[in-house]
Amino acid sequence: MKIGFIGLGAMGRPMALHLQAAGHELHVWARRPASADGLPATVHPTPAALGAACEVVFTVITSSADVEGVALGDSGLIHGMAPGSVLVDCSTIAPDVARRIAGQLAEKGIHMLDAPVSGGEQGAIAATLAIMAGGDAAVLERVRPLLEKLGQRIVHIGPNGAGQVAKACNQMIMVAAIEAVAEAMHLARAAGVDPAKVKQALAGGSAGSRVLDIMGQRMVDRDFSAGIEARLHHKDYGLVLAAARQSGVPVALTASVAQQLNALMALGFGKDDTSSLLRVLEAGRRGV
Amino acid sequence: MKIGFIGLGIMGRPMALNLLKGGHQVSVWARRAESMQPLLDAGASGAASPADVARDQELVISMVADAPDVAEVMRGVASAGTSGLVAVDMSTIAPAAAKAIHEELAAAGVDFVDAPVSGGEVGAIAGTLSIMAGGSDAAFARAEPAFACLGKNIVHVGGPGAGQVTKAANQIVTGMGVLAVAEAMAFASKNGVDCSKVREALLGGFAYTKILENHGQRMLDRNFKPGFKSWMHEKDLNIVMQTAHELGLCLPGSAATAQMFNAMVGSGLGEEDSIAVLKLLENLSGQA
Repeated sequence: MKIGFIGLGAMGRPMALHLQAAGHELHVWARRPASADGLPATVHPTPAALGAACEVVFTVITSSADVEGVALGDSGLIHGMAPGSVLVDCSTIAPDVARRIAGQLAEKGIHMLDAPVSGGEQGAIAATLAIMAGGDAAVLERVRPLLEKLGQRIVHIGPNGAGQVAKACNQMIMVAAIEAVAEAMHLARAAGVDPAKVKQALAGGSAGSRVLDIMGQRMVDRDFSAGIEARLHHKDYGLVLAAARQSGVPVALTASVAQQLNALMALGFGKDDTSSLLRVLEAGRRGV
Repeated sequence: MKIGFIGLGIMGRPMALNLLKGGHQVSVWARRAESMQPLLDAGASGAASPADVARDQELVISMVADAPDVAEVMRGVASAGTSGLVAVDMSTIAPAAAKAIHEELAAAGVDFVDAPVSGGEVGAIAGTLSIMAGGSDAAFARAEPAFACLGKNIVHVGGPGAGQVTKAANQIVTGMGVLAVAEAMAFASKNGVDCSKVREALLGGFAYTKILENHGQRMLDRNFKPGFKSWMHEKDLNIVMQTAHELGLCLPGSAATAQMFNAMVGSGLGEEDSIAVLKLLENLSGQA
């Protein structure tokens, strides 16, 4: 199948390569042409040109505005993709923007799935991503064989936007858990206890979690080089809080964690791993 | 002075009336034509559009709901092509939005002032609003005679956006202030102590605030009529939190307060005064 891919960053590049390795013909467009270097793919000058050449197009882009531009802009996918073709947006964006894009594409007979992923760069490389899809169930079944090359757990959540809502819930739980682990590690150290031992003990009990395993270890090792850049979680928390506001749902803990993420950005850790939330707590003890 | 006035709601109508009382020549425009009638009866002239209201004026003032409305009417104002025009927006919008409007109008040769107010409907009617202005010295000087008819405490805070930054700071203090007084009331009440006596005692000490005095009394009277509607306070706190997110600023108290107001809007208390946060606290602690 001819597959388009836009967004060749830490996540997108390994995902595109998995699809190519499965025998599909890879087509790409990149804002910075250099990011397509070395890919076994046909490079197109615009998203529209790429869209015209492909049956299915994947996007993995950072912001709502960028996805909207690529999909609906002057030389966007909407001006190239044929009726019946499918856009699979794996970016994390606002649910209402996902719905708006899907609505406009639908007017031209183009299908769209919002299909954000969880699992990070590691999951993208290992093809073990969790994929949460919003959109028409029949369309998901059409592209499911492709998604199975990218991840193991593929769940149809509901109509368009539902995938993004699920991703927002995912981010709420995960980043709050990172903050909880950071606070526990911070407390352990401040109380004169070895954080490594605490982490080891906790892993066997009710507080055990993947976040404790992975992020806790990074905190113990003080290895804050990025897995997922914290600025992306900061961005996602803006989306989560906006969604909570739209629904009139109070999210006290999320709002509190968001402030720690704001501090993280201010302290210059945005391009480091989110385990840097530990360093935010440490900054709060400076000068004591 | 010849003044155009846009937006004749709860705040705008008494403000425009005060400009007439101050001897200014006032032309008005409002989206709903019927809201113009009281002003026409009082001697104002009616205009057909924002562009029309700006024609041959020295000053145009807007008092509307939200940033998109301000941007839209100000685009109309700029299209009038009135040379040397100063435009003043007294709505509460995000500092970033105000700065963008500043730039857009400057390109069209209109000098813009962001001048949000504090003091509510009561202050608008009495002409005792606090006015916090951002913009050039020359533009502020042009607007000052109009401000003198509308308010008492008039401060030129700084350049473009400085007025809205000040208003956001005001909403941090008042939002947390109302919540603080409500929590103190709930605390006293759950402890079985007479809240009116507590208020009376606190008024004499370091906990004295105007909010304890005025809002505290209304909490005792259980008078939840607005005043200042809680959905509007929620909107303003959202501006604060958005700005904090963009800047990388840690505001844990504002974040918690914003979620309380979010809960009020979600639970149907949005149309009540912001002191209805007391009801929310009572519901959460089983005191209802």
